[in-house]
Amino acid sequence: MKQLRVLLADDHTLIRAGLRLVIDREPEFTVVGEASDGREAVALAQSLAPDIVVMDVGMPGLNGIEACRQIREGMPEVQVVMLSMHSDEGYVLRALKAGARAYLLKDSAEADLARAIRAASESKSFFSPAVGKVLLEDYMRTLERTGGEDSYELLSPREREVLQLVAEGKSSKEIANLLNLSVHTVETHRARVMQKLNLRGIPELILYAVRKGIIS
Amino acid sequence: MPTDSEKSNGLRLVLLGTFAALLALILVSGAAATRTLREMHQEELDARRAIAERAQSLSKLYVSIEVYNEDIGRYLGQAAERPDLEVRRQLDRLTSEIQSELNGYPRQRKPEEAAMLDFIDNLYRRHLELYESAIGAPAPDEARGEILTMRAQLVDGSGKLNAWNGRQLQSTDETLLAQFSRLQASLTGSLSIALGAGLLLVIASMAYILRLERQTRNRYRELSQSRHELEQLSSRLVDAQEEERRSISRELHDEVGQSLGALLVDLGRLASNLPAESSEIRERLDHMKSLTERTVGTVRDIALLLRPSMLDDLGLVAALEWQGREVSRRSEMEVAVESANVSDELPDEYKICVYRLVQEALNNAVRHAKARNAKVRVFGSASGIEIEVSDDGRGFDPQRARGLGILGMEERVKRLGGSLAVHSSPGQGTVLKAELPLPVPAGSPA
Repeated sequence: MKQLRVLLADDHTLIRAGLRLVIDREPEFTVVGEASDGREAVALAQSLAPDIVVMDVGMPGLNGIEACRQIREGMPEVQVVMLSMHSDEGYVLRALKAGARAYLLKDSAEADLARAIRAASESKSFFSPAVGKVLLEDYMRTLERTGGEDSYELLSPREREVLQLVAEGKSSKEIANLLNLSVHTVETHRARVMQKLNLRGIPELILYAVRKGIIS
Repeated sequence: MPTDSEKSNGLRLVLLGTFAALLALILVSGAAATRTLREMHQEELDARRAIAERAQSLSKLYVSIEVYNEDIGRYLGQAAERPDLEVRRQLDRLTSEIQSELNGYPRQRKPEEAAMLDFIDNLYRRHLELYESAIGAPAPDEARGEILTMRAQLVDGSGKLNAWNGRQLQSTDETLLAQFSRLQASLTGSLSIALGAGLLLVIASMAYILRLERQTRNRYRELSQSRHELEQLSSRLVDAQEEERRSISRELHDEVGQSLGALLVDLGRLASNLPAESSEIRERLDHMKSLTERTVGTVRDIALLLRPSMLDDLGLVAALEWQGREVSRRSEMEVAVESANVSDELPDEYKICVYRLVQEALNNAVRHAKARNAKVRVFGSASGIEIEVSDDGRGFDPQRARGLGILGMEERVKRLGGSLAVHSSPGQGTVLKAELPLPVPAGSPA
């Protein structure tokens, strides 16, 4: 079995130790290094070339989001699992924009870490269940208070399918194969989804999907 | 060494004294001049009255003597043949008239005048004796001759007295003139003194005013300096407060947060390693875990309040959006955040300032204004950054109620050289606007 090489980045030794214990429990994961701040994480990612970086958002010097962006820009094959204390969409969206695949709340990291690492290694998204819950609550509350309309209702069934597949990280070609459509049609659906939901870019689309519970 | 206030007190007293003295001098010399003038007038009147009286008496005397002389001449001429009783009676009447006129001459007399009067009186008495004797017996020729001589002397004497009287009038005029020029001199003297004193007063007043001006300038300088120091102090206080908060927050995050996080991981591991049958222990573990999670949440909230780490993690705009959602979550107020051209490269103190400003404004909107909606707008430009927080709450009168919160915001904005304006009135909601100039033109807008 191919071993997944994991780099841990957190400024707290105790947390790193806890995470290491969780990861070491899984036979197919190996911790290849530990970094205590963002800069070190970037440097170690470059020298160790891990499959996965488990990265804390709040680190001194270079924060986790910035470090994630730098790693993903330099080495697109390295996937990042973001660890955060915040379930707020500001953080989730930033992390997604920086190229993170998975977003875990530290509170529940222990339970979900293995699943998140596995999903990320397959280029799939993963979010702590609590994140989706908070995002949905925020969304519903705003709709209720401002009297807005749930734009999801505007989507056709086909568009909803495309939305989910895009959010899961599939390319247009993969989706075209799955749905027996031409790539061009998939692209059209995708553009229409983005327009109807007023989304700018894939990260916002993923966030939207998480919020609506389409993916987790 | 006397203090400033003592010195100026003394100077003020001197000025007041000089002024009073000047006023008194003018009053006294004016009163004296008036009195002197009145006296002179009275004296002149008296003198003129006396002279007029004398002139009247003299002219009567003169006339009586003339008539008498005439009559006596006639009488003496006739007496030898037949004495005229009618003339005699008239002579007697004239005699008593002359006597009464001599007696009626004003009693107040100068020695010279008295001597002349005495001379006339004596002459007249002698004349009267001769006349009596001439009437008694036929007058011898020598006696008649003497009477005639005396007659001429009498007229001459009264004429001299009259001339003297005229001279008296002239000398009275001269005395008055001299008195008047003395008055003039004394008035000129007082006027010069008053002028000198006035000049002194003006100079002293000018000195006093200049000194007051200098003191005022000094006070103003001191005041503005102390205000400047106060501003610096309060700015340092804001800095110190932020620094303190940051270090406590970091402490909470690093020490407490880390330990709790590790505890959570341990608890989770413990629970997953537990044999399936020990459900009681699992229950206890779950309870401990949820308690620890709540504590983690509390510590995180406190740390965030102390130092919004999203500023470091996400930048200003995302942190403001986060704050808006956070307030929406925790209160009945929905917050919309709008922004454009806000650089992520803002200096930390600017980010903190904007963040705290919005935090305080939203806090006020929820707590005091009971607003349902609030809007946060942040716009950046090359020269600075504009912040506007508006709500639809109860509003207030900014002229009257200016809470500590607004003062604190003002303090923060001012120390970065910005300005803050609060527009509100009861029932009309509140709009808070702040402008922060940037120290250097912003680099690349976000």
